[in-house]
Amino acid sequence: MVLTEDINRLFADLLRAQLTEAEWRWLEEKSTASPLELMTAFVAVPRFIGRQTVALSTEQAIELAETATGLSLENWTTVRLSRVFLLTSLSVSDEATYIRHIETLFDTAEMNELVALYSALPMLAFPGKWLFRATEAVRSNVGDVFDALVMHNPYPAKHFHEAAWNQLVLKTIFNDKPIHKIVGLAERNNADLARMLSDFAHERWAAGRAVAPEVWRLTPGFMNDRLLDDMKHLFASKNSDDQKAAALACFHSNYGPALALLDNHENLKNQVGHGQLTWADLEFNDLNTYESK
Amino acid sequence: MNQNNNSDERNPSHFEEGGGLAAQEMPEHSDLNWEEYREAIRGMRFFDPHIHMTSRTTDDYQAMFDAGIVALIEPAFWLGQPRTGLSSFKDYYSSLVNWERFRSSQFGIKHYCTIGLNSREANNEPLAEQVMEILPLFLYKEGVVGVGEIGFDDQTAAEEKYYRAQLELAKQAKLPVQVHTPHRDKKNGTERSMAIALEHGLDPAWVIIDHNNEETVESVLDQGFYAGFTIYPFTKMGNERMVKVVERYGPERIMVNSAADWGISDPLALPKTAALMKMRGIPDDVIKKVTYQNAIEAFGQSGQIDESVFANGLAIDQSQKMNGNTILRGGQQPRIAKDSLLIK
Repeated sequence: MVLTEDINRLFADLLRAQLTEAEWRWLEEKSTASPLELMTAFVAVPRFIGRQTVALSTEQAIELAETATGLSLENWTTVRLSRVFLLTSLSVSDEATYIRHIETLFDTAEMNELVALYSALPMLAFPGKWLFRATEAVRSNVGDVFDALVMHNPYPAKHFHEAAWNQLVLKTIFNDKPIHKIVGLAERNNADLARMLSDFAHERWAAGRAVAPEVWRLTPGFMNDRLLDDMKHLFASKNSDDQKAAALACFHSNYGPALALLDNHENLKNQVGHGQLTWADLEFNDLNTYESK
Repeated sequence: MNQNNNSDERNPSHFEEGGGLAAQEMPEHSDLNWEEYREAIRGMRFFDPHIHMTSRTTDDYQAMFDAGIVALIEPAFWLGQPRTGLSSFKDYYSSLVNWERFRSSQFGIKHYCTIGLNSREANNEPLAEQVMEILPLFLYKEGVVGVGEIGFDDQTAAEEKYYRAQLELAKQAKLPVQVHTPHRDKKNGTERSMAIALEHGLDPAWVIIDHNNEETVESVLDQGFYAGFTIYPFTKMGNERMVKVVERYGPERIMVNSAADWGISDPLALPKTAALMKMRGIPDDVIKKVTYQNAIEAFGQSGQIDESVFANGLAIDQSQKMNGNTILRGGQQPRIAKDSLLIK
């Protein structure tokens, strides 16, 4: 887990460099204020700090990567970073008080505050205590809130149990969002998820709809007869990206019948074998799989 | 907020005050069909400073967007029945800055709100005390453009107490105030609301007195307050009457709203009133002031309204896109072919 003090210091450096002097003075003062004043400041940040995109120098990006694996500040605003900075400044001396304060902020949050709160989960103290809150973000229908927990956030991979993890991945697919932005996707992969994905694809196909080709990267380690049928379906698709997904999934499996199936598609097999085709080629961000074919 | 939605009488709030002099001779309200008025308002944009979207459907959002409504303010009000606990208030305020704001954005309309304890529920004093404690948590939030809607209903002592307390909150938070005026004993209630606001040292240019009619408007404008007019079938103003008000008093510090809610009300009141003004020969710049600009000026004093966000249409943020069981599909507003039997 990320060390709260280290990240707090790093964020302070980033903000001091980017904010105006008056903005930074306000924020620094609030970061050492009483908890209630700090919490009010968390809410009021947009009234005192201008919203701009956070800019990182190369050195800062390297330091961030070393301090907090998996965390990305891409597309973060100064408002969001200032809020997370305040959260990492909150006193952790008393666990019950700390948890009550954070819960209050969650309970009364508007959308941008929820985004900041969920972004901050990997950096908060007592990480195990936020598990329920984290699963609530997976249940959210507000896009930015969902993304704040699911995309570029190391918290779920570290703390979710398997059933919750599988719901997170499936809901990402269901919401037409790209799974390659989930941190720890490969490490947390499991057979049950591959089965659920197959079931999900069958429902979609029955409705005349598509599944994003990238999602089949979840299957190679668990290839079996049932998934093999899905591979045949994909190879028969008119969408060349479906065929590419099947080739990649078969190639990376150790399942004989899947490798035999791939032999029927020599061109694709060669592309994968020579590294000309990888999963990265199927990492699309704008999916629209709900459009009827 | 409507209070007489069960009434069969036409426009009782006007007649109750005995001021229906000209009302017999002229129509009060013209119900316009979209096909009749769409040309009249082509290219116009509207800002509805009072509408309760939590009570409205997705069809309303789509129709509002089509008619040119680009932004709105949803004041906190009562839900048709009294709340029984603090959590209901907390979740309601939270939904105004959270889910409803998101829902609106997905239909291309910028959603702001005002937060306050409404006059009816101010009468439940034990609960009102608790609500007052959590109000500051919401007043400082982004996109909260005022304290509202607050003021008088029955004009009880409890209503006055919490009206005064919330005026103080507005001063501290540097927020405009959106004042609901009562249906019964309206003139007196309106005068009292203004006198108390002045007594607390509020700048009248920061106070929007809402639900005006021909009987109250003059005093409101003379004292320097903003005057809101609610086009609400039967119980408040008709749009024909609204045209007459603008012809008589001009556009300064006047704003039109729909106050559409769970009663029989019209979320398209603004575009329809604008169309009627246009048909009656009122100049475009006057129409723009009373259906768009004045509201932005008044509530913009909160520092929370950035007109450039919605002036040329609200950009739908692709990163917010959610599919499945939610609202938006493929970055477009989902449209159902209403006359098609097939549901895809």
